[in-house]
Amino acid sequence: MDTAVFLNSYPGMYLVQSFFHSLIAALVVDTALQAWNIEGPVIRQRFRLIVIFIPLISFPLYQLLNPARSGLTFRLEALLDVNRWLDIEVWGVVPVSLFFFLFLGFATAVFLFQEMVPIVRHAFASRDVAAERTRPTPGSPVVRALDALPGEKPDVFILDDDELVLFSVTGRRPAVFLSSGLVRALTVEQLRAAMAHEIGHIRRSRRPLLVVVFLLRVLMFFNPVALMEFRRIVQEEENICDDVAVAMTGNSTALAEVLEKFYYTDDEENPVPMQDAPGLRGRLEEYSHTMLIESRISRLAADPAQQEGRRLSVFFLTLATVLFINYFVV
Amino acid sequence: MSKKLLSLLVFGVLITALVAALKLVNWVPSALQEGALRKYGSIDEVKAKLKITDVFAPAYYPQCFSWPPSQIAAQTRPYTAVVMEFNRKDSREACLIISQVASPHVLPEEKIKLTRVAESVRYQLRGRDALLEVGVCEENIMCSRISWNEKGYRISVAMKSAPVDLIRIAESMTARPGK
Repeated sequence: MDTAVFLNSYPGMYLVQSFFHSLIAALVVDTALQAWNIEGPVIRQRFRLIVIFIPLISFPLYQLLNPARSGLTFRLEALLDVNRWLDIEVWGVVPVSLFFFLFLGFATAVFLFQEMVPIVRHAFASRDVAAERTRPTPGSPVVRALDALPGEKPDVFILDDDELVLFSVTGRRPAVFLSSGLVRALTVEQLRAAMAHEIGHIRRSRRPLLVVVFLLRVLMFFNPVALMEFRRIVQEEENICDDVAVAMTGNSTALAEVLEKFYYTDDEENPVPMQDAPGLRGRLEEYSHTMLIESRISRLAADPAQQEGRRLSVFFLTLATVLFINYFVV
Repeated sequence: MSKKLLSLLVFGVLITALVAALKLVNWVPSALQEGALRKYGSIDEVKAKLKITDVFAPAYYPQCFSWPPSQIAAQTRPYTAVVMEFNRKDSREACLIISQVASPHVLPEEKIKLTRVAESVRYQLRGRDALLEVGVCEENIMCSRISWNEKGYRISVAMKSAPVDLIRIAESMTARPGK
């Protein structure tokens, strides 16, 4: 197929523009986060949603507002006409657009093999988890740690496993799972911090933002910027649950110590223990555990529990900037 | 200076830098490769710089339109295309758009778009098989468009008016190609 024909078709324009719109959105959002020195993970996560959501709808939205936006005369006035680059022929033969679409194809392969395949694999493997679990005995360190936590508590189960394993499942019957190896490795304070973090995930699952974001991200399977941004959103989710845990326990050191145990006991090939959790959200949480533990430890050491305002005016200014600039990127 | 104002200033400066960078990135391809889409001052300039021998311009056009075209845009890469816009003498709004695109390519929507086609008929334009469409554009303004193939190009003439003048314009283009 002639790539020039595809580039001028609506699917072609959607692919190209959604990629560049997300790239520009990511630059604007990062600029806003730095300019206003926004550190709170809840606020940062909200800003990062712009990068996932806006490029998904921007092209059809702009076309609806101005159908002539895809025409040559609009492209002349555009801030960036991407086709000018994509139409360049390398060595006078191969259009740059071919390399661009190969790049998107590579991003799609990364999405399939790094995100979808592990999720499907873990979904099948997770069926064994329920059979091996036991409840902690009264008076055990786990029960003592749980009793010291405020608020509603989920079911807690011990898995017979020497590895350090910790995860939660959400849904109608939320539960926290710990391996026997983890229970032996942690003090009561550390167990309390670890379970508080998982309770944070369970509480936040009542507003299943991550699942919605993941579904949006699936629709942008071809977009490497969306892939990177989704991972950053997941990382912010971990930071949010760290903050929940610190708020519940008042002890950021204990949680940092738990993370250090995870971080330093793993081998290089598999730096974070991975076990299987049923349910999409559980798998997303599990996926998120593999990410950037070290930065979380540093963040906990720097006392993260500082409250920020909602930054609504900055959010809407950033959103308006993204929408305005991207309108002129065709 | 308050912290909020300073943050706003930093944001403004960085966004301005981003816009400038995008403008620069947009300019670079024209320096790397000739034939990219750009504006031209006249039809003769298009012919001279892009070496396009056949640029189809009307020999007739209603007096209410201003000459020369308010905008001429052309490219030879990745395919040849020339778009001319004409304004009415009393307004700066594009009321006539003539485009020619190397077949089999098609131009995406331009400024004059028939949002609803009331009638679509085959029309014999000096022996050429043309498609004549009559309908309305935005704000319910009557619009018409005629398109046909000529010397390897798909030519389209769209106008914010009834088709009478449109056909006369189109006929004047087929009578004297190259003008």
